[in-house]
Amino acid sequence: MSLLDVRAISKRFGALKAVDGVSFQVGPGQICGFIGPNGAGKTTTMRICSTLELPDEGDVLVDGQSVLSEPRDARRRIGFMPDSYGAYTSTTIFEYLDFFARAYGLRGERRREVLARVIEFTGLGELTDKEIASLSKGMKQRLCLAKTLLHDPPVMILDEPAAGLDPRARVELRELVKALAQMGKAILISSHILTELAEMCSSVVVIERGQLKGGGVLADVVRSVQPTTTLFLRALEGPAACERTLLELRGVSKVRLERDGVCFEFEGDASQQAALFAQLASSGLRPLELAQQGQNLEDLFLSLTEGKLQ
Amino acid sequence: MNALAAARSFDDRLNPILVKEVRQALRGRYFRTLFWLTLGVATLIGLSIVAEAGSRGANMGVGRTFFMLMNGCLFAAVLGFTPFSAFLATSAEWDENTHDLLVLSNLRPRQIVYGKLLSALVQALLYYATFGPFLVFAFLMNGVDLLSIGVLLLTSFVACATLNLLGIAMASLSPAKAPRVLLMALFGVALMMSWGFSISFATFVTYQPHELRDPMALPAIVAFVVGCLLVGGLFASLAIARLSHDEENRSSGLRALSVALVLVATVFGLWMELEFGHSEFAWGLQLAVLVPLVMLWLHFLCEPETLGRHVARHVSPRPALALLSAPFLPGGGRGAVLMALHMALGLSAVLAVRLVPGSDKTELNRALIGLALVYAYVWIYLAIPAGIASWFSPKLSRRVLTRLVIIGLVPVAVLLPPLLGLVLGIPSWLDFMHPLNPMYPLKGVISGSSFSRVEKLWLLTAALAAIVLNTPRIARGLQEVLAASRARRSRASSV
Repeated sequence: MSLLDVRAISKRFGALKAVDGVSFQVGPGQICGFIGPNGAGKTTTMRICSTLELPDEGDVLVDGQSVLSEPRDARRRIGFMPDSYGAYTSTTIFEYLDFFARAYGLRGERRREVLARVIEFTGLGELTDKEIASLSKGMKQRLCLAKTLLHDPPVMILDEPAAGLDPRARVELRELVKALAQMGKAILISSHILTELAEMCSSVVVIERGQLKGGGVLADVVRSVQPTTTLFLRALEGPAACERTLLELRGVSKVRLERDGVCFEFEGDASQQAALFAQLASSGLRPLELAQQGQNLEDLFLSLTEGKLQ
Repeated sequence: MNALAAARSFDDRLNPILVKEVRQALRGRYFRTLFWLTLGVATLIGLSIVAEAGSRGANMGVGRTFFMLMNGCLFAAVLGFTPFSAFLATSAEWDENTHDLLVLSNLRPRQIVYGKLLSALVQALLYYATFGPFLVFAFLMNGVDLLSIGVLLLTSFVACATLNLLGIAMASLSPAKAPRVLLMALFGVALMMSWGFSISFATFVTYQPHELRDPMALPAIVAFVVGCLLVGGLFASLAIARLSHDEENRSSGLRALSVALVLVATVFGLWMELEFGHSEFAWGLQLAVLVPLVMLWLHFLCEPETLGRHVARHVSPRPALALLSAPFLPGGGRGAVLMALHMALGLSAVLAVRLVPGSDKTELNRALIGLALVYAYVWIYLAIPAGIASWFSPKLSRRVLTRLVIIGLVPVAVLLPPLLGLVLGIPSWLDFMHPLNPMYPLKGVISGSSFSRVEKLWLLTAALAAIVLNTPRIARGLQEVLAASRARRSRASSV
């Protein structure tokens, strides 16, 4: 079952086809990375999913509600954090969140409870009386996330939430997003910081010039584009000995020296990989470190996209 | 404890926009600066008048001057600063990039518009409360009587609400900054003019208070209040339509209000005939409401033809009800049906007055024909270009272009013969009342003259062309409503 079901949506702006027949799904508890070069149509797709733009063709179902025929019902189920959002001047954090809580129809004790919970979750507790204008970028992002969470939507769409954040704020945001996924929310997140996405996404959608270039569970997509696994080996005998040994083994390719070890590509499934480890141990090498490199979204992105602009 | 619970319950029911806007206004610089500035100026003026009166002795003239000056300050605040603040508050939603957040918050567009209006009215009430002691003081100085104060407060408050709605509607028209700056300048001019009118009216009421006891004063005040509320309602509907989702119904509210406008004019015309025997009101009012109606017809006729997926789902499953509601549903063809309905109502209004015993039948007969002919012109100038435009794509830019062409068509048609007369040296063409002028039939109503055969032929041909051009879109519009009704029935039966 998918909470966000994008069905062949297209959108034109004059002569430019910003989105061209894009379809994908995001299920509960899934964090789906939405990647593509600048001007690929990511923001337009996200705005269509959030009812802010209308598709010329196709439809989007948010928890079963069409953004076209029942936009109000769809909006109740969606939390959208735009890349550039506005904040009311002369308003404190509490007043800002209180306004949106009222707008979402939260009343009385329930509103106070929700506000307290969301403020605690996003770590804004000590700043509630601060005017928004005086907040740092990281705190503003937290505030926007807090606003997005007020009505407890099952689907969350985060457009470049980490843009402009310092490393600490990025780590904190990543942990918040992971926590939200653990609550069973379907999360579609776009970012240009692909290493960030790789660490939290379970699936990925790649788009370029408005067209879908690939998508699905991250490991499957990576395997489809890149059939080999990248491994790193460091042994007591040094990188040169590692290289010699590896070149004699079947399934190993692209061996290259890196830091005080070697990186190499290995083609094979999990059992063949286990057999490789056993062979290495029996070859006389004394491994200090043998690790699988993270699924490289940057490589995936470069393989799937052509870098053309529109 | 109960009082606290009641207060909390009341707080919960408040419009969120009202709460936000009042908080922002009270903390913001605009309201605080202008409030204290107005109060300071009023106090200084008051003190100087009192000092003047102290040295020369108080009399009615001093009291009137004091009242007029205080009114000037109060009107500047409630008819100037407050509506301008409503314009800026709505404009800020585009400028500060918060409009998307409002849409996502699922607030209904009417909650947004009325929240902003209520916030502006709260600010206006703060001004009224502040100026209350000054007005009482003016009364104690024999400068003005209570009836005059009451009438001025009532009319200014109603005008304030209407101007606030105009400001909100104008600011909601365009998300782009450049057109909004132009709209802001236009709105500023409108506010200056309304301030000038209000000062003139206050002068009239203050210096001729006996006029308020004239039998015609009450109808005039009622007409003003009802007119302001209706026009304000139209502005509100316009703003609501602008802030609605593209697939939502942006038209029905405006359409219902446009019918209310004709009905109010009809009732008022009948009342004037029955109460005062003024037959001219019956058709005069129908002509007066033509000004806003033509703008609305222009809007309706140039709407995209299709219902939209969201609206189609909510068409009545009963075919008869669906057809009856068709003129009130969005779509250019259905707009033409609504225009015909308005015209039928307008003619019925004059006919109804004609049935009143003792009414001036000769004048009303001429008025009936004159009104029908003006309506024929409206069909020609609006429905022919709109009908042709409906053959092409319903893109927004094309619809805007059609509206601009139509707006430009009438002045061109009116000015062309006199200009040609001037260029070609034909003195008989220099008259503005010629057969291309939509107000030409009124000449006949006033002078009793009738159309020539050629004029009749041109009018008949053009009106027929308008009807022929629009018949297919009307038929398609009605068919679409019936199809939506059928689809809803089949959905219900499948469930």
